[in-house]
Amino acid sequence: MRNWLIGLLLISLVCVWGCDTGNQVRVAVAGPFTGSAAAFGEMIKRGAQLKEKEINEAGGINGRQLILDFENDTGKEKEAIQVATRISTNPRILAVVGHFNSACTLRGKTIYGRKGIVALSPGSTNVTVCEGSDWMFRNLYRDDFQAEFIAKYIKNKLSDLTSVAVFYDNDAYGKGLADAFLGEAEVIGLNVVATESYDRDNTDFKAQLTSIKAKNPDIIFISGLYSQAGLIVKQARESGITSRFFGADGVDSPDFLEIAGAAAEGTLLTTPFTFGAGGERALQVAEAFKTEYGVDPDTWAALSYDAVGMIAEAIEKTYQQDASLADKRKAIRDHLASLDTPEEGYTGITGLTYFDKNGDTVNKPAYVKVVKDGKFDTAEMQMLE
Amino acid sequence: MAQFLEQIINGLVLGGIYALIAVGYTMVYGIIQLINFAHGEIFMFGAYFAFTLVTFLNVPFWIALPMSMILCAVMGILIDVIAYRPLRNASRLSALITAIGMSLGLQNLAQLIWKADQRTIKSELLPTFFLSENAISLPSGAALPYRDLFIILLALVLMIALNRLIHLTKIGKAMRACAQNKVAANLMGIKTNHVIAVTFAIGSALGAVAGVMVGLREVIEPMMGYYKGVAAFAAAVLGGIGNITGAMLGGILIGLAEALGAGYINSSYRIAIAYIIMIVVILIRPSGLLGKSTSNRA
Repeated sequence: MRNWLIGLLLISLVCVWGCDTGNQVRVAVAGPFTGSAAAFGEMIKRGAQLKEKEINEAGGINGRQLILDFENDTGKEKEAIQVATRISTNPRILAVVGHFNSACTLRGKTIYGRKGIVALSPGSTNVTVCEGSDWMFRNLYRDDFQAEFIAKYIKNKLSDLTSVAVFYDNDAYGKGLADAFLGEAEVIGLNVVATESYDRDNTDFKAQLTSIKAKNPDIIFISGLYSQAGLIVKQARESGITSRFFGADGVDSPDFLEIAGAAAEGTLLTTPFTFGAGGERALQVAEAFKTEYGVDPDTWAALSYDAVGMIAEAIEKTYQQDASLADKRKAIRDHLASLDTPEEGYTGITGLTYFDKNGDTVNKPAYVKVVKDGKFDTAEMQMLE
Repeated sequence: MAQFLEQIINGLVLGGIYALIAVGYTMVYGIIQLINFAHGEIFMFGAYFAFTLVTFLNVPFWIALPMSMILCAVMGILIDVIAYRPLRNASRLSALITAIGMSLGLQNLAQLIWKADQRTIKSELLPTFFLSENAISLPSGAALPYRDLFIILLALVLMIALNRLIHLTKIGKAMRACAQNKVAANLMGIKTNHVIAVTFAIGSALGAVAGVMVGLREVIEPMMGYYKGVAAFAAAVLGGIGNITGAMLGGILIGLAEALGAGYINSSYRIAIAYIIMIVVILIRPSGLLGKSTSNRA
């Protein structure tokens, strides 16, 4: 009897919570809004909010207000599971933008797939993120592409730097990227003299750096995120390492410069997007962003801006007031899956986005940035095919 | 050779830091048989106090360091008075749970005050002495930054000072008496609560020094107390919990094991290697390297 009563109570609760959607459509944005990847989370949040504001000022989605629910996964798998469960069981949420960290997206993918809600990641680059799920998409390149690009760039464009050390974060992102890099290095004959790893929780990298120093590499590839990379660069200079540094998109955050200080100078990195290469529309958005938040947007703000735009467009084209929740969610997925050719693709500020059969974006190039006078600058030498 | 020498230096610096924290765990345990899990958080607050003083209040570093020590000492006493003193005669489990709660509470308090972002003290605000470029070149090409030398020497000096304090002063004698038997010490006219407060203050001040040093060398974040605290706690257990010299020795050993393990075996297992050493020692000597198997610990 008691269980039955509680059940009744729960059902009525769901109805109060779920039936009264009013004149709104809700989309969740999941990312690391606190924790050691918080600088990325902050940019993702702002990029998404800017697009939300634009859409609502232009009359919303078919006259309905777009509301973004920000869910903090703190960059940790454990939290990501909870967040994904909370999102997918919330009957008001139609789709997800997120997550950011590959490890979190991989956890979320399983849950979103099971519950039938689409997720579009504006930041996860691990190779397997979209594999084996019909419900997972991303609007940026994969790590195998990025890692091969970095290896080739070092080989072809930095040909006076002949020996490389790899220092990677022991998680889905860092290790995936490092493995792809090492594979490509072998293929193209790049001389890797040392491979070391670290854990995300570490803040003291002196022991590994001392081992790397003994091998005297010309350039060190840091396969990890900005906060550890910043410390690594700083501690490396302290240990008397004079090598150059190359990072991937995980290092692409102003906080890297903040943490590394003067030691960051000359560090190269790849990124899925730079505003310098984005054209007029991107520059307008950058300006609106700066007016709104007082800081320049970064790559992640741009990708999250586009991801929200893409989901909003999918909702606009498929939303049917009377359809069931499952049908509404599925229609959004079907629409994204139908964007499978350049002609069908979505044009945002980061360029054209369309998906292959996995849900991966395969057409976007990698850009190279360099730290010059304490700021990120587009590198003189690019390698766009 | 240069590599080995540098790994040893890395290990000694880490070891010095662990020793400074471990002493705080062990002193409190020696007197009230409580594992003060909040000690790692005091260490973290020490780093944040120095960061705030130097960055936002423009206090020179050499004044910020002792101020941070004093603030942490006060904090340590407050934690004892608020959380532990009411439970002095309760079961040890209650006090332990309270300590864990205190630790979690302080972690979240730090997140509220300073956010979860990682912070560093800007190098312009530090004495030039601490800048990484200023290092002694050792023969065979290794480099010893003045800052690291400073950390090792400071840890050493503080350890010797603490040892002398325990053995030569009146309050030291009172602390040893309380460690042996609190009731008897009280009967002899020693104000035990006063002695316990001093113990918390000294342990916390040393923890603050370690926090500031880690802040200089690594980064300041709300979780730092947990990561370093666990390693330091292992050091205290390795040395024999309750034994101050043991805590120093344990700290240095764990630091060296971590640096050498990461440098020569596998960097992913750096902490695991340190723990394996601790477990092996505990298996052979259950009361730690210098711990006595009797209940009398000082």
